[in-house]
Amino acid sequence: MLSRNFRLQKVGGLGWLKKNYNFSNISFSIDELIILDVTRGEKDEKRFHEHVRSLASECFAPIAAGGGIRTLEHARNLLYSGADKVVVNTLIYESTDIMNEIISEFGQQSVVASVDVKMVDNKFTVWTDNGSVLQKKSVTQWLEDIALLGVGELYLNSIDRDGTGQGYQIELLDSIPDTFSIPVILSGGAGKYDHLSNGLRDKRIDAVATEHLFNFVGDGLKKMRNKLLEEGHNLPYWDAEIVRKMYNTLHTG
Amino acid sequence: MSIQKVTVIDYGVGNIWSVMSALKYLGADTELTSEPEKISKASILVLPGVGSFKRGMEALKGRGIDESIIDAVTSKEAKILGICLGMQLMMAYSTEDGGAKGLGLLPNKIERFSIKNLNEKKIPHVGFNSIYVNEKEGLFKDLPDFADFYFTHSYRTLVDGMQGRYATCKYGDEFLAAYEIGNIYGTQFHPEKSQINGLIMLRNFMKAE
Repeated sequence: MLSRNFRLQKVGGLGWLKKNYNFSNISFSIDELIILDVTRGEKDEKRFHEHVRSLASECFAPIAAGGGIRTLEHARNLLYSGADKVVVNTLIYESTDIMNEIISEFGQQSVVASVDVKMVDNKFTVWTDNGSVLQKKSVTQWLEDIALLGVGELYLNSIDRDGTGQGYQIELLDSIPDTFSIPVILSGGAGKYDHLSNGLRDKRIDAVATEHLFNFVGDGLKKMRNKLLEEGHNLPYWDAEIVRKMYNTLHTG
Repeated sequence: MSIQKVTVIDYGVGNIWSVMSALKYLGADTELTSEPEKISKASILVLPGVGSFKRGMEALKGRGIDESIIDAVTSKEAKILGICLGMQLMMAYSTEDGGAKGLGLLPNKIERFSIKNLNEKKIPHVGFNSIYVNEKEGLFKDLPDFADFYFTHSYRTLVDGMQGRYATCKYGDEFLAAYEIGNIYGTQFHPEKSQINGLIMLRNFMKAE
């Protein structure tokens, strides 16, 4: 199954998001939601849990949440705050013990491994700790390690393209080992319809993620989803108009 | 539609927040409880759950909730919706973790997806998948054709000898995706994670007589 995701960048508080973007226009247009805490420095875990709960109360799709997860408890709190999966990045190399505890308690499908990649001297390199620490292993070796660990999904993000709207870094996919069988979500750079459409056509990708804010203005995302469906992309199907009618009859009757 | 009181059963298993949020979104007056007396008295029950069948049954029995559910559903005609593990627990038996008995409200047996039918597909079955409904009434009213729902499970039950209104899904095997038999309803998928189709189904459950 192919799916599309939305990743929230913290450019404003939650209230800002709900005020400036009709969240239900977004939440009913995606297959899954990814919420990442990208705060530099010390993160306020409790506040993040509340944000996740708040978004989860209005989003009836699978939710992955993460950013700075270092303990089993933090993962657990997120999974009880409405998240179905946790996203881990630095934890993968920092503590395989805790990774295994999370997998053991919640199952492999509850863990999404996130990998940030940047091009340095014409080579793709892996960065952790919010993009501040360069790792020695190649992207391919890094992904091989992740395959051995056994996670549910891979979230592969291009730091270079992130937020540019210039299109995905498709060449990144060449670094994926041949035997890699974990579903891949590609992220970083989607700015318009064609990016999503072409991304979904590439058989090495199982899902495309977008965090580009212009995609969410008005009913932009809804229109993009409808177009993808019309053009034959295999996205899950539901009728977006019914809920509006339903909501009205439920709250007046 | 007048405001319905929905009692969601808390037995320490799984993410209840999303189920509660979806019910509230649909206008229900929700109550989350693990108290047997409250469960016995409820007229609308929801049994959510993810994870191990054995642990789920132990959690229900440990709190004395198993008997309250059976009492509410069989003597008091309460309607109940089991979601994912919740749906499985209402059945007779599961082979997971060496085997365990369920609440027995339905005779079905829960078993792991059979590898030989899967053709390289992976277990667990995770993601959106389409369901095929035998009658688009009751629980399945107003669903579009080829409605997709979100699944995440390794165990399932087959549909041989199934009565009543039900829906199937194909993942290697053709298995039971959802059903409505008298006052007992169940979904293998997560309606609270299935966008609009899921909300439609929850609304149908709440409205059902």
